[in-house]
Formats: sequence, C-alpha cells, structure tokens
Amino acid sequence: MPALLELDEVRAGYGPTSVLHGVSLSVPEGEVVSLLGANGAGKTTTLRAITGGVRWTGDIRFAGRSLRGMHTEDVVRGGIAHVPEGRGILTELTVEENLKLGSYLRRDGPAVRKDYDRAFEYFPVLRERRRLSASTLSGGEQQMLALARALLMRPKLMLLDEPSLGLAPMIVRSIFEMIRTINQADRVTVLLVEQNARLALDISSHAYVLEVGRVAVEGASTELKGNESVRRSYLGY
Amino acid sequence: MQEFLQQIVSGIATGGIFASLALALVLIYNAMGLVNFAQGEMAMFATFIAFTLIARGVSYWIAFPLTLVIAFAGGIAIQRIVIRPVERAPILTLVIVTLGLATLLNGLAGFIFGYLPRSFPSPFSVQTVDILGALASYRDLGVIAVSAVVLLAIYLLLQHTTVGLTMRAAAHHPEASRLLGVRVSWMLALGWGLASAVGAVSGIMAAPILLLEPNMMQTIIIYAFAAAVLGGIESPLGAVVGGVIVGVTVNLAGAYIPFVGGDLQLAVALAIIVAVLVLKPNGLFGRPNVRRV
Repeated sequence: MPALLELDEVRAGYGPTSVLHGVSLSVPEGEVVSLLGANGAGKTTTLRAITGGVRWTGDIRFAGRSLRGMHTEDVVRGGIAHVPEGRGILTELTVEENLKLGSYLRRDGPAVRKDYDRAFEYFPVLRERRRLSASTLSGGEQQMLALARALLMRPKLMLLDEPSLGLAPMIVRSIFEMIRTINQADRVTVLLVEQNARLALDISSHAYVLEVGRVAVEGASTELKGNESVRRSYLGY
Repeated sequence: MQEFLQQIVSGIATGGIFASLALALVLIYNAMGLVNFAQGEMAMFATFIAFTLIARGVSYWIAFPLTLVIAFAGGIAIQRIVIRPVERAPILTLVIVTLGLATLLNGLAGFIFGYLPRSFPSPFSVQTVDILGALASYRDLGVIAVSAVVLLAIYLLLQHTTVGLTMRAAAHHPEASRLLGVRVSWMLALGWGLASAVGAVSGIMAAPILLLEPNMMQTIIIYAFAAAVLGGIESPLGAVVGGVIVGVTVNLAGAYIPFVGGDLQLAVALAIIVAVLVLKPNGLFGRPNVRRV
C-alpha cells in the first residue's frame, strides 16, 4: 500500500520554541496509525503541522502532493478532517449546524444525505439532540458530534487528537469502536494521537512513539504491545 | 393619549434608524470583538454617495439599493486594506485604527462634498394617516417598513443560509472553523461589508430628517451605541430591540419630561448606556461572560 500521508524530517515550533526536531512518519492508506508519547512530546504539534496550524520545515506529503505553504482551509478541503484537541465543537451553534459545517462544501447531494443517515445511525443521540445547542452536550456526546462531523466531510484521512480525553471508560470504548468502524466500513485512513497507549495499540496497525519532538520508537502495534521494555519506558503501563 | 401614541410611532421610526446602525456595530463586534467607531462615518459617506446618485438623476429606488451594494463593497475594501494588516494587533490598536478611519472619512466627505447641510429626498411624504386614532406620518411608517425589511433580511441571511452559518462559525470559533474549511478571513470581510450596507440604510433613513452633512451621524452613533449596549452588544436581535427601546424612550423623554426637551435627548441615551453597564452589563439579550476553567 502506498503511503497516504508522509512526514519527512518535519521541524516545527511556536515562535522561538521549537517542538518538533525532525519527525518522519508515514501513514499507509486504509490503516489506523497511532502516535503515542508523553505530554509535551509533540503529538498535537505534529497534527497541527499537517493542517497548517503551525509553521514547519521539512516536507509533508498528502496523497503524493506536498502541503508546503498551504493554508489550513485548503489542506482540509483536500480531504483531511482534523478533530483537534478539545474536539473543535462550535458551542454557539446547534448540533445540526455543527454537522452542516462538516458537509457544506460538498456538492454530491444524495451522497451527503446518505452520510447523514449513517452518522445518525452510528450516533443516534445526535439525531435526538440535533436542534439543541451543542453546548448542552456531554463530553462524550461532543466527541461523537466531532466524529460525525468529520465523517460528513468525507475525508480520505482523519486526524484525531486524544478522542479519549476526559471521558468515562465505557464511553471511551464505544468511541474507539466507532473509530474502528469509520476506518473499516467507511474506508477512512486514521492518524490517532492518544495518551491511552493500550487502547490506541489495540485498534492501530502501526504506531510511533514521540519523545521530546523526535520519533523514539516505531513498529507494528502488536510488536510494541509485546515489547516489555518499550511498554515500561515509553508507554507507561 | 392620541399624542402619546403618535410619539410612540415616531419613536419606533427613529428606533429603526438606531437599530440599523446598532446592528452594524453588533455584526462587527461579533466578528472580531471590536466596536467600530467608524461605523457612523461609513454610513454618512454612503449617504453622500446616494445623494450624488440621486442628484445625477438616478431614481431613489434605484439609487438606494445601488448605494447598499457600493457600501457593501466599500466595507469589504476597508476590511482588506485597513483592518486586515492590524487584525492580530491588540484591541486598543484596532480601536485607534477605527477612530482614525472615522476622522479620515469625515474629513474626506467634507473635502469632497463640503460642510453645507443639504436636504436629502425622502420617498415618503410627511403627510399623516390615521391609525387607530393616532396620526402617523407616511415618512415614519416608511422608515419603520424599510428598517424592518432590512433587519429581517439580515436575520434570514445569518440564520438560514450556509454563508450566514459560516459567518457565525468564523466569528465565534475561527480556529475550529478553519479546520472545517471555512475561509475565516473572507468571512470577516463579508461581515464588514454587511455592516457597512446595514449602516448605510440607517444613514439614508436619517438624512431626510437631519439634513445631510459630514457630522450627521455623530449623534446617531451615540444612540446606536446605547441600543447595542442595551441589547447586549453581541446579539443582533438585542440591537434591534435596543434600537426601538432607545428610540421610543428618547422620543417620550423629549416630549414629556420638561427639562429634557430637544436638548438633553442625547443625555438620555448616555444615561441608558451608563445604567445598563452598571445594572445589567450583559444587556437584555447578552449571555453572561462565563468561562469554564
């Protein structure tokens, strides 16, 4: 499988503080790849670099094309859905309006309607609450809304930043089930940033562990899971 | 009683003028957290454009929409050329920029059109019609109708169109909106364009009553501030309700409170601003500024 997303020696930072010191990774089409590591290792910054939220050097290629110099809006329109830290829910708007912002750029009307039906089938609670303000949703429901909205963008690639953050274990499990479904049934490639390494390794095929802005370890998820010393020193469980 | 009703109708008409300008302020405040002190002068300048068109023989009902289109384009141009370079500057810088813009437009209007007050045509006659015992002038009713149509159009645009949805999204959550493909910077420009056009309506409605000259909007903008603050500065609906309340209050105060008369009406508006800020800082429709920590 060719790589859908490739990062080549990417360096990035905020002003004078540099956060990524040359990150290279590759996400094959159709797979779930996880990006693990401690707080401050540069996971979120890596995702932000991909969608142009932070200046970077090196090279980032998506579907064979370099993303160098592209604005966030154009990267996203090219087929990358980024569910950011904190989920990016527009709390001033209703649930339905949030979903509409996922699909408003699409011109394939009948397919959009089908995608709405599927999103509501995955997350029935969103249909019930669609007229309510998104601010009334619980954390888990907001995460569902973020995933449903990302799905409606019909992306080739989803970047998910800590989907488990702040959620109860039972809800986390169902969210991860959905990520698996989105990957397998909807054929969306996923780059998943997680603190919860165990969960992430369970659903990904390949994983990278970042340590202070560099890739410290990489490998097949099953291998990393089986490697006692990697688990102890990097994954903390 | 009859005179009281007349004062109310005429207050609502004045309120429509305040409401339009207040709505323009709210549109820009929502888009970038900025009170645009140049809003009144932008409206005045647009009114001079309408005046010039009409003076050249363009009929009123063509000059009116044409002016709105020009004002819309002008608002976008101002955002792109003047505001965008300082977009990320501290808010005080932006405020100073709008104050400078106000002075610039005022001087420019004086330079081009002169300071002589000119009478501006109204398509509505000053004759009166009897409504339920109250005599209302066609002009007041016309101003109310035009304001209502414009405000309704803005409401429909913001709440029921995709472009309105993306404008609201960009205003409240620029970062999250960018990640959904919204061109945030252009949405801000569109906000300036709309605000400029809505403000122009206020100027064109005010001009027949006040006479057109470069300082025409300088009192109206105070009333519009009062209306916007009363409505809760963030709320378009609040701006409209606030505008009508301020219009009616000021009118009634002028008519019935002996020492207010015509001279202290502006003081009533300022009193409203102070009272709202002291008693209910979020206004009638504003939400309390609660932050989750």
